[in-house]
Amino acid sequence: MPEPISAEKSTVVAESDFTEIVRRHQAMVYSIALHFLADPAAAEELAQDVFLQLHANLGRLKSGDHMKFWLRKVTGHRCIDFRRRRSLPQVSLDEAPESAAPTQTEDPMLSRRLRQLVASLPEKPRLIVILRYQEDMNAEDIAEVLAMPVATVKSHLQRSLAMLREKVTRAIGEVAI
Amino acid sequence: MNFDKDTNRMEDALKNALRRREAPEGFADRVLTRLAERSSATPMVLRHQPWLRLFAQPLVSWAAAAAVCAALVVGGIHYRNVQREHAEGEAAKQQLVLALRIAGSKLQLAKTRVQQVNANHTPADQTENQEEKE
Repeated sequence: MPEPISAEKSTVVAESDFTEIVRRHQAMVYSIALHFLADPAAAEELAQDVFLQLHANLGRLKSGDHMKFWLRKVTGHRCIDFRRRRSLPQVSLDEAPESAAPTQTEDPMLSRRLRQLVASLPEKPRLIVILRYQEDMNAEDIAEVLAMPVATVKSHLQRSLAMLREKVTRAIGEVAI
Repeated sequence: MNFDKDTNRMEDALKNALRRREAPEGFADRVLTRLAERSSATPMVLRHQPWLRLFAQPLVSWAAAAAVCAALVVGGIHYRNVQREHAEGEAAKQQLVLALRIAGSKLQLAKTRVQQVNANHTPADQTENQEEKE
């Protein structure tokens, strides 16, 4: 059932409503940008731009699900545009606080290495991996957000996973030595 | 950890690594501040004429500028063609007038010659005819 939104159908949204919308989705938008750009300052700037664009388009969004779909799509496209326009220095992703406590099974060094490897993937596969594992989206939903065939999404995922597996295995071997 | 054999473990590790992060403290406030700055920077006419906001979008403003440029180029070419056709028409008219003048003067000349010939030949011919009859 679609998640309802309060004042989105009106072109004028109360400030409190919009603040609530920003608070509800800021972690999602900021995290996609952060994992893609690997630069907290750039990620925040991009996430702010996404919400400003959202404010201008609120009247066109029909439901909460539509808004979430729109935010993921616009954030993804803006990430790719941002990366193409600017050559960003790679900054550690670990500067940003995590939204939840790390799970007991998490290996911080492995997570850090994986984030670095994901940030080094080509643009489209990187975005696909982020949407798959950060947002827990399936290939069909990712294909819809990125407007590409499902088979292409699956192929990017398989190749990216294989590459990440190979590199992380090598890196862990090096750490062990 | 053997990632070659355990895809699920790899996927779990990725989910852990790519967990959502909290946006920085005060993120929503900064968005609202930028929004307020943007709306105060929007000219009054745009606030009261929402359709004009279309032109505030970069893509639309570029498209409008391109359309104006295209219209100017097409208009310029059309104006040049009209001017050229007008000039060609004028030249043709001048040539026609000249040709008519030449033809007129030739006709005048021919008429004068014919009159001269008639004036010279008519009295002598009549005298000769009368003599032959007698």
